[in-house]
Amino acid sequence: MRRVFRSLQARYMLIILTALVLMQVGYLVLSIAMSLGLDMQDLKPTESAVQVEKEWHEAAGSLAEVSPEVIRDLFAAWKSRYPEASMFWVDGDGVLREQTAGREGEIPTQWTAVSTAQFIKSRYGGDPFTVIAFVGQEGSGGFVVIEMPRAMFDPPIMQVYDRFGTWVAIGMIVIVVVFILISYLFFRRIRKRLTQLQEAMTLRDVDGLPVQVELSGKDEIGQLEQSFNEMVLKLKVSKQREEQEEQLRRELIANLSHDLRTPLTKIRAQAYTIGKEEVSSDGRRAIEALERSVVNLDRLIDNLMSYTLLMAGRYQYNPQTTDIVRLVKEHLATWYPLFEKEGIEVDADLQPLRQYEWRVDPLWMGRVLDNLYQNVLRHARSGRYIQVTLTSAEQYDAIIVSDHGPGMQSGQSEERGAGIGLSIVDRMLRGMDLDWDIQSDERGTTIIIKRYRK
Amino acid sequence: MVRILYIEDEREIGEWVTRDLTERGYQVTWLTSGEGAEQHARQADVAVLDVMLPGLDGFSVGKRLKREAPDLPILMLSARSAVEDKVEGLSFADDYLTKPFHPEELAARIEVLLRRTQKFEDVLMLRHLKIQLQNMQIIDTRTGEEIVLTGKQYHLFQYFLRHLNQILTKEQLYEAVWGEPYLEGDKTLMVHIRYLREKIEQNPAEPQIIETIRGIGYRVRR
Repeated sequence: MRRVFRSLQARYMLIILTALVLMQVGYLVLSIAMSLGLDMQDLKPTESAVQVEKEWHEAAGSLAEVSPEVIRDLFAAWKSRYPEASMFWVDGDGVLREQTAGREGEIPTQWTAVSTAQFIKSRYGGDPFTVIAFVGQEGSGGFVVIEMPRAMFDPPIMQVYDRFGTWVAIGMIVIVVVFILISYLFFRRIRKRLTQLQEAMTLRDVDGLPVQVELSGKDEIGQLEQSFNEMVLKLKVSKQREEQEEQLRRELIANLSHDLRTPLTKIRAQAYTIGKEEVSSDGRRAIEALERSVVNLDRLIDNLMSYTLLMAGRYQYNPQTTDIVRLVKEHLATWYPLFEKEGIEVDADLQPLRQYEWRVDPLWMGRVLDNLYQNVLRHARSGRYIQVTLTSAEQYDAIIVSDHGPGMQSGQSEERGAGIGLSIVDRMLRGMDLDWDIQSDERGTTIIIKRYRK
Repeated sequence: MVRILYIEDEREIGEWVTRDLTERGYQVTWLTSGEGAEQHARQADVAVLDVMLPGLDGFSVGKRLKREAPDLPILMLSARSAVEDKVEGLSFADDYLTKPFHPEELAARIEVLLRRTQKFEDVLMLRHLKIQLQNMQIIDTRTGEEIVLTGKQYHLFQYFLRHLNQILTKEQLYEAVWGEPYLEGDKTLMVHIRYLREKIEQNPAEPQIIETIRGIGYRVRR
């Protein structure tokens, strides 16, 4: 039973029930108050219409003599009994002979059979309550009519309503207001709790997850809070698991990287040691090829790791408003010595852009440029030229990297790869909402990175 | 003689690096684990640490070394190339180099670290200039006269010397020396470089010390 009353629905039903009971109790209290505290003495006892009709017939029929005086006496006797009643007498010739005061001029002075019938028809079942009785035994003395307000036959409670209607209405209004107030308080509390819950749902802990809420009851909202807490707990567990998996993945990649790069370092160490000895020109070329392979393999491992992370959506992405002219310039400055060492002419045409603040991740952008420059070093070294241009077109700003290498389709590159470097470029540029295009023929390759102006 | 504390568990790599650095004139103390490395921290001029070590990892060893000798420059040498690893390493270390590295690069980076802490050399020879790094006294070896620079020229040249062989953009130079954001089209830096060249170059029209890298910036090479 207690569980039932924890329910908000049950509580609200209880409020409605209380209101209904309150109404009935209100009636009762009102009745008691009226009977005890109010002056009921002047309330008339209930009159019976049938009784009045019977008595009027008897009184009129029992008149031994028909004279104005007798009729007047009759009227006076009934008037004293029923002050609100009015009476008149029409004699056997249809002439209005007597009437009680107050209705002069309203009653026709001459009655015919038709007018009498019309009168009867108009009063039948209506208000005032009308009784027509023949005067005397034979009825030759005409007829007397008594008219009384129908309200006189109402039960006393009706009279109470008539007299104390305002109080009853006020009582009803008070009951309704009390009901509305209780309902308002009930719903206000519910609303407050729901608002608190909604606010708690928007709060975030340091781990970015919602914070558990304190249970405010055992009703439906309490159950909702409990479900919310359970959900938060599940999210936390899931997040922990995800972090553990992430940690494992990082460890795996780190270990894999270590396991692959350590032997590479050893190969490089051996190649370097041999290179310091006196070796033939063939031997020297072999050592150089070995060195290059080590560098390429290292790069490939790095790309493979990055690509795996990118595909899994695990590569950290922190976009920020970046001065792209500055980024490209500073990045090219770090690559310049390498190009210089390889005898590649660097033509930097870094003009200010119309919109130079791009929302990109500087590390991603650096990685993209690294891969493009790396490609020039690996595949277009023979062209001995790289041009990096910043330019603004009608609709977009662009970074253009072009070389004079043999082109991508030529198959003349010294080291062909699976294109994983460009796949990373593609994925990262698309991730940063940038377009890119590649044109390659035997005269060289041009890569254009576009950012359309908004 | 410059002393290097080197911690590497891979025997072949350890032998190779030790041999190479010794041949370059350094005195190398090679340990195969981080155990007891702190004892050597105070005697070393620079520390080179592998990250994946048996027992205590390189990051923990590096932090311990820094606690023991806060001025000791540390270079992390690791096969771990993820950004997170580099960030973690550079939170306490002074440099981070990934394997497979070239011994020339390792030596160059050690040199930079030593130069930064003024432990490498006191005198720098740059073409016809002899520069006392301690007090930044610049002597023209052809005439034996001292070249006196103004405040801004001095800061500019010192910044170049601290970043030897690096190409520095106009923005980097201006912001480092003037401490304000560089505005495109501002000629102040160019004017100061011209004055500086007039003082230190043999022929300012064909500068040998401060190179112009067209479209990018400037460089002072050894």
